[in-house]
Amino acid sequence: MASDLKRKREDQLSDDDDVELDAETAKKHKLPTGEELRTLKDAAGLYQSSSFKLQIDALLPNVRPKESRTAPLDQFLFTLRSHLLSLPHIKPQHPLVAARTLSESGVAVPFALPHPTQDTKWTVAFEPPSNIHVVGSWANKISVKKKDGKYFGLDLSIEMPASLFQEKDYLDARYFHKRAYYLAVVAQSISTSFEVDVFYGATLNDPRQTFIVLRPRKGASHDFSKTHAEIHIIPALSSSHPIPLHRLSPSHSNVRVQPPTDALLPMTNSSTPIYNTAILISTFPKLSLLSTNTLIQSSPTFRDAHTLLRVWANQRGYGEGALCIHGFEGKGSWWASVLGLLLDGEEPVSVVGKWNASKKRSVGKGLSSYQLFRASLDLLAKQDFENAPAFVKSANGHRYSPEEYPSNHSAVFVDATSTINHLVDVPFTSLDMLQYDAQKTLEQLNDSTGTDDVFADVFLRDQTHLSKRCDAVIRVDLSRVSKYRSTFEFVEYGTSDNALLAAISRFLRRGLGDRVRALAIFHPSSNVRSISEMSRPARMSVIHIGLIYSPEDAFRLVDHGPAAGEQDTEAAKEFRQLWGPKSELRRFKDGRITESVVWEVKTSDERAHIPAFIVRHLLHLHFGVPIADIKTIATPFDVKLRLPDHLASLLQHVGATGGFKAALTAFDGLVKNFKALDEKLPLALLNVSPVAEYLRYTSTFTPVPISLSSSLALPTPLRYLPHIPIILEFEKSSKWPDDLRAIQKIKLAFFETIASALMTASPGLRAAVHIEYSCDSDIQDHASLEILTPEGWAFSARIWHDREAVLLERLASPAQTPVTPSPQPSKDQRMARRALDIYTRRFIHAPRHHRAIATVAHRYIAYPGTVRLVKRWLASHWLLGVHVSEEVVEIICARSFVGNGVALPDTATNAPRSKERGFALVIEFLKEWKPENPIFVPLYEDNGPSIEPSVVAVSSKEGVWTISTSEDPRGKMWTSSGPDIVAAQRLCALAKEAHKVLQENDVDPLSVKRLFAHAIDDYDIVIDLDPTVLPRYHQNIDADELVWSKSGVGRPTDGDAVSRPGFDPARILFDDLQSTYSDTLKFFFDIYGGHRIGAIWLLNVSRTRPFRALGGFSSVPATEGGKSKEKDKRDAVLLNRQSVLDEIKRLGTGLIKKITVREK
Amino acid sequence: MYMSTVPKLVSGFTVIPVAYAHSTHILYARAHLSKSQDVVYPEKRTLFLVNIPVDATDREISLFFKSCGTVERVVYNRDSRDEAEAEAAAEQEEEAEADIETSPPRPPSPSSQDPHPQSKRKQRPTESASPSVVPLPPIPLRTLRKTGSIAHVIFLDASSLEKALVPPTKPRPWPSSSEEPRGLAHYAALYDAQRPPLDVVKAHADTWMERFEFDLAKTKQKLAYRKGEAIVDDDGFTLVTRGGAYGQTLGGGVGVASKAFEKTSRTGSKKKKEPKEKETFYAFQKAEKQRKALLDLRKNFEADKARIDKMKESRRFKPY
Repeated sequence: MASDLKRKREDQLSDDDDVELDAETAKKHKLPTGEELRTLKDAAGLYQSSSFKLQIDALLPNVRPKESRTAPLDQFLFTLRSHLLSLPHIKPQHPLVAARTLSESGVAVPFALPHPTQDTKWTVAFEPPSNIHVVGSWANKISVKKKDGKYFGLDLSIEMPASLFQEKDYLDARYFHKRAYYLAVVAQSISTSFEVDVFYGATLNDPRQTFIVLRPRKGASHDFSKTHAEIHIIPALSSSHPIPLHRLSPSHSNVRVQPPTDALLPMTNSSTPIYNTAILISTFPKLSLLSTNTLIQSSPTFRDAHTLLRVWANQRGYGEGALCIHGFEGKGSWWASVLGLLLDGEEPVSVVGKWNASKKRSVGKGLSSYQLFRASLDLLAKQDFENAPAFVKSANGHRYSPEEYPSNHSAVFVDATSTINHLVDVPFTSLDMLQYDAQKTLEQLNDSTGTDDVFADVFLRDQTHLSKRCDAVIRVDLSRVSKYRSTFEFVEYGTSDNALLAAISRFLRRGLGDRVRALAIFHPSSNVRSISEMSRPARMSVIHIGLIYSPEDAFRLVDHGPAAGEQDTEAAKEFRQLWGPKSELRRFKDGRITESVVWEVKTSDERAHIPAFIVRHLLHLHFGVPIADIKTIATPFDVKLRLPDHLASLLQHVGATGGFKAALTAFDGLVKNFKALDEKLPLALLNVSPVAEYLRYTSTFTPVPISLSSSLALPTPLRYLPHIPIILEFEKSSKWPDDLRAIQKIKLAFFETIASALMTASPGLRAAVHIEYSCDSDIQDHASLEILTPEGWAFSARIWHDREAVLLERLASPAQTPVTPSPQPSKDQRMARRALDIYTRRFIHAPRHHRAIATVAHRYIAYPGTVRLVKRWLASHWLLGVHVSEEVVEIICARSFVGNGVALPDTATNAPRSKERGFALVIEFLKEWKPENPIFVPLYEDNGPSIEPSVVAVSSKEGVWTISTSEDPRGKMWTSSGPDIVAAQRLCALAKEAHKVLQENDVDPLSVKRLFAHAIDDYDIVIDLDPTVLPRYHQNIDADELVWSKSGVGRPTDGDAVSRPGFDPARILFDDLQSTYSDTLKFFFDIYGGHRIGAIWLLNVSRTRPFRALGGFSSVPATEGGKSKEKDKRDAVLLNRQSVLDEIKRLGTGLIKKITVREK
Repeated sequence: MYMSTVPKLVSGFTVIPVAYAHSTHILYARAHLSKSQDVVYPEKRTLFLVNIPVDATDREISLFFKSCGTVERVVYNRDSRDEAEAEAAAEQEEEAEADIETSPPRPPSPSSQDPHPQSKRKQRPTESASPSVVPLPPIPLRTLRKTGSIAHVIFLDASSLEKALVPPTKPRPWPSSSEEPRGLAHYAALYDAQRPPLDVVKAHADTWMERFEFDLAKTKQKLAYRKGEAIVDDDGFTLVTRGGAYGQTLGGGVGVASKAFEKTSRTGSKKKKEPKEKETFYAFQKAEKQRKALLDLRKNFEADKARIDKMKESRRFKPY
């Protein structure tokens, strides 16, 4: 045996030899070389996966400057250098005099606050720079492309000679004035001697950080526009400058103005850390260049990791762009420092034992770029910026004592050269957001499925889109701010805007507290200005505040402050100061008496607005922003989901209390009634399962009961009362007949018994047996019991008998013999199959779906709202119900919450916490989803990974979507009858349009209106219905109150005073049209009270066709067209359009007002 | 649509224009040609009508042809359309009608329009003793048909048919009977009719079940065999059927092909065979396996690379 095998092996080997001879296949079969193997293994092991590595490799070159195009730039730099070095000296003179001289040549001196006055004793002068360096990311070749087409920045530091400065220059912005003058002289000389565009730029528009921006002019002698770079000329202090560094420590105060008494300011003393840092930055360029270079030398993957990190950050607004998170402008060197902290570890600071205990060690230098990127995200996600200052390990210790930082700065992140604290002017709110984003991305990366998607989400997709990023977006117009900050803060922060934003972020963070996980202020990053402008005059007009709710606390009604006993403490004072008149001393149920703020809300809708209320209150109280200038998108959205106020008050008048809770109570009451009938029924009732959207919080409108008497009092357009479907399940019994037709009859008998018993048991209740005559099959479940409770809830009950499934299956599957292939299904079989389909959907899947959705609705607070909004949106575009089933909307919406592929835990950072954000996410998904790709939604899994079944997308003529769940692996349960390809494409186009509207960050009610407005130009035919006879008209997206008010058109159809719960003639007409003309026209309709039906001619009906007896359309003999086809002896016919329209009009007698045909 | 432009005949069908409010609807008519034996429409007096109005009722059609003669009944081909259509597509026009009849429409009956399923059952020839079923109240309402559907109109005498086939000179208006409401009134009436009084429902269900029991008992009586007895046919063969759960097959315990076999025509136990050879027993097997793993690694890598390259082409890697 063994020898046999050995021989076999030899054979195989010799086979291999043969193969090697063949050149084509040789490569395929040869083992990878050691080198190759290492790359392969690395790709899989050191990166997320090999495809992840390849994608990273593809991404990197796209975000870096092209090496090959830098020649003209280098050339220009040489010329510039020699020009700058040969600039003439200018004698010392009074700053204002000097400024006047310059302004004559059209150049302003960008003085910082406080401006120099006539009394100033010191002078300004100019000498050519003592040294010129290319510094920053360009010099280290770690530049990363910026967002929104901004240029690469090449930082050119020019060292101002030490002789220009004096020791006392650190005081009162004297240094900045001198620097400004120096800069202005340089700007003036460059603008006159080179063919480049010269601008001033300033980080955050802070005049202390002004630099010169040189942009290439097309076609000029120094045209370096191909590099897509601009030169930033930054004045720096030479190493021999006379300013004593110890005076610039974090705790020193170097501005002589009255410090404010603001309890919320973190600085208890009058220190000026931001001011000090602004001076220190002037010594930083060269040091930073060297320290970063050391990092690059020490770690081969530093460059790539840095690029990845910057791309990630830019995509999220942590960098220059149209929507920048406040504080992160011009923080380029910080990202390198973050990696430095990882690679070199943290400085062991030996003070204040508490926070240096968890000092981070170096992660080692051998990590791959992806690993380093992940480690830095991990650092950002876990770093406690508020309480744990970070010191990058430095070569020879830190300059200032570590305790000085936390007490004077906000967040602390001191770089390796110990020169500056990078985060000195970054508010905590922005850091919270950063932390949140890092956590979110890490969560995504940990989810190992679908790597392509994850890669795109992390690096390629723009994530700054506020409406899908933040739970609440508040747009604040700052142009009418009436309460300004103190002069001291102006001087400390550089500009009034920065002082204002810093204060806003402090107040909001304090006020919102644990209601939010993160909040951030977004605004466009600063722009360059002409050198004739001294500073940016216009104040920043509009900012956006984005909130990310924490699920438990966001909607708390009460904010508790200090107890009554501590009235005079600092904390109590601070609390009162923060909340102003809203703060009251209250006694609570548990006996506590505390200072507190209570937010009063009338409806649950309003409750969701509490965080926005708080923002509004604080901004108005402390900054005097007019209430009208603070807007959110939530309110106009709410209006779309509410019944008209008029109707609400009318219903309240008759004492009907609606709402999901009330509907559930009514359902429970009905179940109790059923159970009480036990003796009167031949079989015991086992189960009553709800299958209604009204009982799982996901119906667009909250259910409202309309009792019999009040229904008659209402005008027709307000009368609609939906049926709430439920399913009855009786105990198993052998008494049931074994025949499908008989089962249906027994059901009738059951219904009759229940109906009579219910009516005798509870007076005022009405019950009737509803038999659908429209279905022509008598084996299909076709009867239901309709119950109208005395309070006015309408239920519709069906009976589930499990034997039906077996019988139907037996009938549907033909008796097959092995030899003969299955014949064409007979009529009975088709009928049985259809009945089985309806049975499975109605009795098996609907209750399961209901339970799953109800669970999701309980787990995620924003889920029901999202579904309701999406349903409303789809309905307003004439798709919901008629093309897209409501169940599938619920499943698609759930996807944004429970995750795709893998069920996310409840605490997942990704799940939206507000319906507006949920809506934006669903829209985004619908925009990008191609129906060819099936999706899987882990609806039935409770927390924890699930195995995604491999689903094959099946698209049929009727439905192109495949959406599977673990209960429905085929993914067709709710999509078998739509949307078809036309509707699906339409939906996609609509989602794109909606996405555009949402992306325009100006949230005004008008844009919401645009979102729900449906353009009817695309329809060939629009059928106008008479709104006065539509019971559902009050749900119309812009219902006209005149239609039902007495003064209006009147109530023409009130002749028959009969209440018909669930009667919706428009819908029946629509269904009739749909089934009658299914091969001729495609219809669209808003099921929520729409008063128009749109239709398009199907493509294949417009041409002439040969006459056939079974043509399936209304035809008219063609007068000319048919002659061309000689070979076809049949006469040609055309679609008889006008007669179809006449028929439609006849079908809708009393309903249709007019039919409009679009002119071609 | 002007009459002058419309031909009188289309593929052997007489064109009958019908005046609508703003247009002319076209009916196509021909004398019925019967080919199949199953369904017998009386020859010579049956009109085959194509493209009847979607909401046409018996009464309306009778009224429309009143000038030609008296209509005995109207039979709509509604159910069999799907099948007929599939076949008809391939057939020549002349046979179209015959095609329809190959799949039998409902047996002609005075109430063929009646949508109640139970009525069919009622018509079955029954024994004198069988209890009668109280029907649900009939709905005197319109039934909508798909657009372009067909009907057979049976006249009382042959001359009416001939008259009907003469091309009319000008369009006649479609009669509208006020008995059956349209539109909103129709839907309201339908709503009410679908909710019959409870006592009627009860009577219907009870009598239906009585009848069902009666029929069941009768079929049982008629059944040729009793449980446990073998059925032997004339040629002496024993009928073998699948038995109950305990092997009580009719006619003795004979093995019958299982359901699974019927479906798949495959026998065999579900147990999987153990692989004969151990997979990592010999050194060369291990080596092969390792080698294969390495090759797979490269193959996957190459596949990924190809995919990314394709994505690169579509400029997907420009983040902004």
